[in-house]
Amino acid sequence: MLDTILHILVPIAIFTFIAAFTLFAVYAERKIAGFVQDRLGPMETGKYGSLQTIADILKLLQKELITPSSADKILFRIAPIIIFVAVFTGFAVIPWAKDFIPANTHTGLFFIMAIISIDALGILMAGWGSNNKYSLLGSMRAIAQMVSYEIPVGLSLIAVVMLTQTLNLNEIAIGQGIVTNGSIKFLGIWEVNEIGGLFAWNIFQAPHLIITYIIFFIATLAECNRAPFDIPEAESELVGGFHTEYGGIQFAFIFLAEYAMMFLVSMLGVVLFLGGWNTPLPNIGAIRLADWTTGLAWGIFWTLAKSLFIVGIQMWIRWTLPRLRADQLMSLCWKVLTPLAFLCMAISAIWRILVIA
Amino acid sequence: MESILFYAFATLAIGSALLLVNLKNIARALFLFFIVLFAMAGLYLFALADFVAITQIMVYVGGVLILMLFAFMLSNKELLKDLQDSSGSFLSMPKWQTIPVVLGFLLLMLYGIIEWQQAPPTWILQARENNTEIVATDNNIHQIGLRFMTFYVLPFEIISVFLMMALIGASHLSRKERTT
Repeated sequence: MLDTILHILVPIAIFTFIAAFTLFAVYAERKIAGFVQDRLGPMETGKYGSLQTIADILKLLQKELITPSSADKILFRIAPIIIFVAVFTGFAVIPWAKDFIPANTHTGLFFIMAIISIDALGILMAGWGSNNKYSLLGSMRAIAQMVSYEIPVGLSLIAVVMLTQTLNLNEIAIGQGIVTNGSIKFLGIWEVNEIGGLFAWNIFQAPHLIITYIIFFIATLAECNRAPFDIPEAESELVGGFHTEYGGIQFAFIFLAEYAMMFLVSMLGVVLFLGGWNTPLPNIGAIRLADWTTGLAWGIFWTLAKSLFIVGIQMWIRWTLPRLRADQLMSLCWKVLTPLAFLCMAISAIWRILVIA
Repeated sequence: MESILFYAFATLAIGSALLLVNLKNIARALFLFFIVLFAMAGLYLFALADFVAITQIMVYVGGVLILMLFAFMLSNKELLKDLQDSSGSFLSMPKWQTIPVVLGFLLLMLYGIIEWQQAPPTWILQARENNTEIVATDNNIHQIGLRFMTFYVLPFEIISVFLMMALIGASHLSRKERTT
């Protein structure tokens, strides 16, 4: 009985978090956009415009749900739900702190990759169901992009898994800090089990993972359909892409899914490469900084802090770089990222055999 | 609780499969196919095959189904009409003829289940005796990986060479002819 209640409470807690995060992130996005473009951003509603996103969501909730008369009504209605649920389910296997994880499965990483691919199906459903040229074109572009960029993402994940030897995200995170049972070596030479902190993170255990992380970051940016890879919803060409016809709460759900996806991939990157919930502060002799800053509350704090930092970088990039053309997008994926990811995977294999074992 | 979930998945799979073959709207049918595949993946979980379940979602939903939808959306309507009208094709049968085929399959499966219950295979009995049965919390992936690279390495390699051939063939077919 207690288990069942817990199984219901945890998703509600995660949903509440995602909603709160989205409110905060939209505000942050506008302020960052304002900063980058040398203007103020929202200033009218509340102090420094802090109530702007709450006003926006209230407006969205009140709006009438309009279904275009020629749309496929069932597909049109279901699509936002599928898009959101696909991303939302991904949070089930990501650890927040040591053993503080909704579902501790051995297939965690593989599960996330599979469940995120359902997101693409939802987008296709939305595009087809709207029965609108711009929506269909937008969703076609989205799928072409998401399917292509899944390959560098998958390969960079394999490069990590080869070194960690597990798909369980909880164990991957444990293997990057002072709580681990195995041996951790900074750059494969210097044993840092006692010191921990920054030196124990995966990207510093094997330096080629820094390149892998950059590949992962760029490719996940494309998976989220964010600028500079936002050709699926290019405002100047396609009105609004696959969600042109949506309004009110349905649009809110698509929007929520986009921001949840941003946070999900940031968190995944943090767990795989940047030490997960492990502290960045090392033990220095008698000053046991790593010991002091490890624990449940600290774990959640570090996960949040690191993920929000990555989300911040995503926003910074969005407002700095111009949009890529479709052919540039594809050649970046197939001619640059995929071969590089393959190279990283090969280095991982050699590293595993020669340096670790 | 678990049996409720099992029957929910089973009804979902069978129900949407039945609806799927009766729909005229191909786009909706393809999306229903997604539900069938997803419910099947759920059923695999009850057989403790979580790896197979996730692979099912990854390969069929993330790959095959998206490809089918793409092919459907990019092909013209006239071509699809030919597909829908299947009266002249080899596999089409009058409706009553499908009933014996279905009944035949059902009997075959029933026979299998009865045989299985009367005399379970020896490897199952052995596993029960030695307490080496797989439980839900076991790390199956480790076993699968080891088996793939040792006992089943030849089929594994043959499949990978085969997939490589398909990949090279596809990229060769889609290549532009060089104008000389």
